[in-house]
Amino acid sequence: MAPDDMQTAGSVHRRLFDEAILKIENVELGFGGVKAINDVSFDVNKGEIRAIIGPNGAGKSSMLNVINGFYKPQAGWITFNGQRMQSMEPHFAASSGIARTFQNIALFRGMSTLDNLMTGRLLKMKTNFFAQCFYFGAAKREELENRAFVENIIDFLEIQAIRRIPVGRLPYGLQKRVELGRALAMEPKILLLDEPMAGMNVEEKQDMSRFILDVNEEFGTTIVLIEHDMGVVMDISDRVVVLDYGSKIADGTPDDVRSDQRVIDAYLGATHD
Amino acid sequence: MAYPDPAVYDTLPKLLKYNADHHGSEVALRQKDFGIWHETTWAEYNGKVARIALALRKRGVGKGDVVTLIGDSDVNWVSFEIAAQAAGAMTVGIYRDALEDEVGYLAEYAGVKVAYAEDQEQVDKFLSLMERVPSLELIVYADPRGMRKRDDARLMELDDLLAEGEDILTHDGEAYGALIGEASGDDIAILCTTSGTTSNPKLAMLPHGNFVRHVHRYLEADPKDSTDEYVSVLPAPWIMEQVYCFGFGLVSRMKVNFPEGEQTAFQDLREIGPTFLLLAPRVLEQIAADMRARMMDASSLNHWLFDKGLKIAVDAVEKNQKSTLADMMVMGALRDRFGFARVRSAATGGAAMGPDTFKLFLAMGVPLKQLYGQTETLGAYTLQTGGELDVDTVGVPFSDVEVRIENPDPDGVGEIVTRHPDMFTGYFRNEEATAADLRDGWMHTGDAGFFDTKGRLTVIDRLKDIAETSGGVKFSPQYIENKLKFSPYVGEAMILGAGRDYLTAIICIRFSISSRWAEKNRIGFTSYTGLSAEPRMYDLIRGEIEKVNADLPENQRIRRFLLLYKELDADDGELTRTRKVRRGVVEDRYGQLIEALYSDVSTAHLDTEVVFEDGRRTRVQADMPVQDVTAGAAGEMRKAG
Repeated sequence: MAPDDMQTAGSVHRRLFDEAILKIENVELGFGGVKAINDVSFDVNKGEIRAIIGPNGAGKSSMLNVINGFYKPQAGWITFNGQRMQSMEPHFAASSGIARTFQNIALFRGMSTLDNLMTGRLLKMKTNFFAQCFYFGAAKREELENRAFVENIIDFLEIQAIRRIPVGRLPYGLQKRVELGRALAMEPKILLLDEPMAGMNVEEKQDMSRFILDVNEEFGTTIVLIEHDMGVVMDISDRVVVLDYGSKIADGTPDDVRSDQRVIDAYLGATHD
Repeated sequence: MAYPDPAVYDTLPKLLKYNADHHGSEVALRQKDFGIWHETTWAEYNGKVARIALALRKRGVGKGDVVTLIGDSDVNWVSFEIAAQAAGAMTVGIYRDALEDEVGYLAEYAGVKVAYAEDQEQVDKFLSLMERVPSLELIVYADPRGMRKRDDARLMELDDLLAEGEDILTHDGEAYGALIGEASGDDIAILCTTSGTTSNPKLAMLPHGNFVRHVHRYLEADPKDSTDEYVSVLPAPWIMEQVYCFGFGLVSRMKVNFPEGEQTAFQDLREIGPTFLLLAPRVLEQIAADMRARMMDASSLNHWLFDKGLKIAVDAVEKNQKSTLADMMVMGALRDRFGFARVRSAATGGAAMGPDTFKLFLAMGVPLKQLYGQTETLGAYTLQTGGELDVDTVGVPFSDVEVRIENPDPDGVGEIVTRHPDMFTGYFRNEEATAADLRDGWMHTGDAGFFDTKGRLTVIDRLKDIAETSGGVKFSPQYIENKLKFSPYVGEAMILGAGRDYLTAIICIRFSISSRWAEKNRIGFTSYTGLSAEPRMYDLIRGEIEKVNADLPENQRIRRFLLLYKELDADDGELTRTRKVRRGVVEDRYGQLIEALYSDVSTAHLDTEVVFEDGRRTRVQADMPVQDVTAGAAGEMRKAG
């Protein structure tokens, strides 16, 4: 895939979204004396690819953790799907369609790729434990449906060859892909990706970019991603919010953000006074 | 075996319709998708082809047009290819990993009107070529993923094309029968790319009737029927895959199975348990090498069982026998492990193969036979007869096939020329090349070979590759290279020496095995390049060269060698898509290394530019040690003493 290919999504075909699916208002989060997030507000529109960027320690991962309920902010509001709340509950986040991947891969290392993806379907299983033990009737039907769904994802992410291999034995890039697969298995409305391309080589990054764009396009999934690689972010996202020392310093299209003086300072390390 | 009469069913679409009419509910194709094998019956196959063909015809595809295909070989590919032929067009298959430039060359040269491109990756190759190929009117894709942003008017999804065909069929149920009735056996069906070790590929014109009749000739030597299972692991554009997928499939109703993907091919092959196989020598060598690599990690008991069993089995093979003991010890299990348990017939060809590898597969109970042929002669026309162990020859010609040796030297070695009634009719739009290769009806293969006393053909090398040193010593680089490649540690080798005083070698290590060996011997390395420069790696390879040298006449021994810092790659133009070394390209690119091999320096310096797939360029500088091989000299001394 050529690099200009990715640009088509970002800059040439500028897409318009107007319906906010997630709104963050004046959120504050602190650990002891440290302010991890300081009065940050932004919104995520349905169907877009939204990037959160910033230097190390800018509060990007904390922001994701606030969105999916790992952290409870001390102040501010989160509106998801029209429901306004002060903090998100993790199980509510998961069951209402927020899925995520982690910076440090969090898979069941001893389980196969297929089984890992099947765990992503657990929330969709309705039959009870006993029916599942005996694998008859509705439980069997359900299992087959979920398997079919998972096979679709396997096909989509082109990981057929590793279907039966324990993920612990897979190279890093593939593990990242499996993790994306498990998040997709939840049929998320919003997909939170925490540095999906960290530690990857150029080729793996291109593959991953392609998959992210395809997920967004094929399933219409809204994507919020944190990424260090500026090139990738600018190429694939519709809008970018920039954090620095817990505060929002810029928000807009990749082109706007790229030319913003404060962003340039934050990245090039201008002195803070 | 009663196959459909080639005089009546003289085109591929007619054969398909015959099978659909007479064996409609029988399984014709299988394809693994989403982890499950999906079956296609003859009736469904024919139905799909009919819809595509009618839709193509409605869109103006007819006699004289060219349709190209690129992607993985699967049900869509084979259906589209036959459908295009049914509509009257000629088809050109392009290797799926071909880069834009190669695709552009072929599409432009052939004046392609319609392209079938499997997915977005392949579609993009054509989209960026639009200006270069103005004749292209329609691009059909099967996989819609990633295509939504592409808004070129020439793009169309295969499902939509099928729906168009469906419409025509509902209005006129006889439309398809009438359409394929138009064609005769003399019409060109396939424009098959030649391998092109020296130049851009040429397109050999293969008529329907010739194709069908030659398939009958092949089936006479190696019969197949509807109980046979074949797994398609070869690239579809290759002539032999065309012969098997279409020829064997349609004439003998052998079932063709398509694996889920390139990487799952061997897993899927095992699930099917094919009865017929064709594997290229390099694939077989890879299997053998991987097996040895895995044995390096096995427990000592397993290791002993493997070595012992293998030795007993190979000894038996050498005496034209079979060892039940060895079969119980290890060979039966191996056969099953690789999915060869039901193989009744297996072929290999396209390049020479090491006798050890050959014997290994025979010992495993895989009845491997070598075949020989060219694209121009519709693939294979000689095949080993089996029976006795024969690691050198490619067997005897099929019936009606004439093979002779032109201008034989005193040893009987000369150019192999051949003819049979159903060869290609010339190269597409290239009279000059046709006249050069096809003289008085004889195909001049450009290969050097000879017949042994039993009338079996032996192929030595490309005629023009047979080289001469400055001292007048004739040698075949390929012959020596193959000997080197029998070593599990050697992946690729190139012998030099034409016009020089002595022979030298550029060697690429086989990384899968060599890295295992290095780990075992506690040699630290980080990459292919690093391992290639490792002194102990040099020692190991020198040992392998010494072994080969011992079997060679004194003046054909390798004197100096170096290990190349990278593997030869088809994307860099160093190999053909069928993985033959392009000698000219390599000699050109690595001229600095060759100079170093023929001077007394101990380090060869390379400074070159590489072009990445996306067009970026980068300068590469590398230093590689050059070492002398001393065994030749030692051997001489022993002889002298």
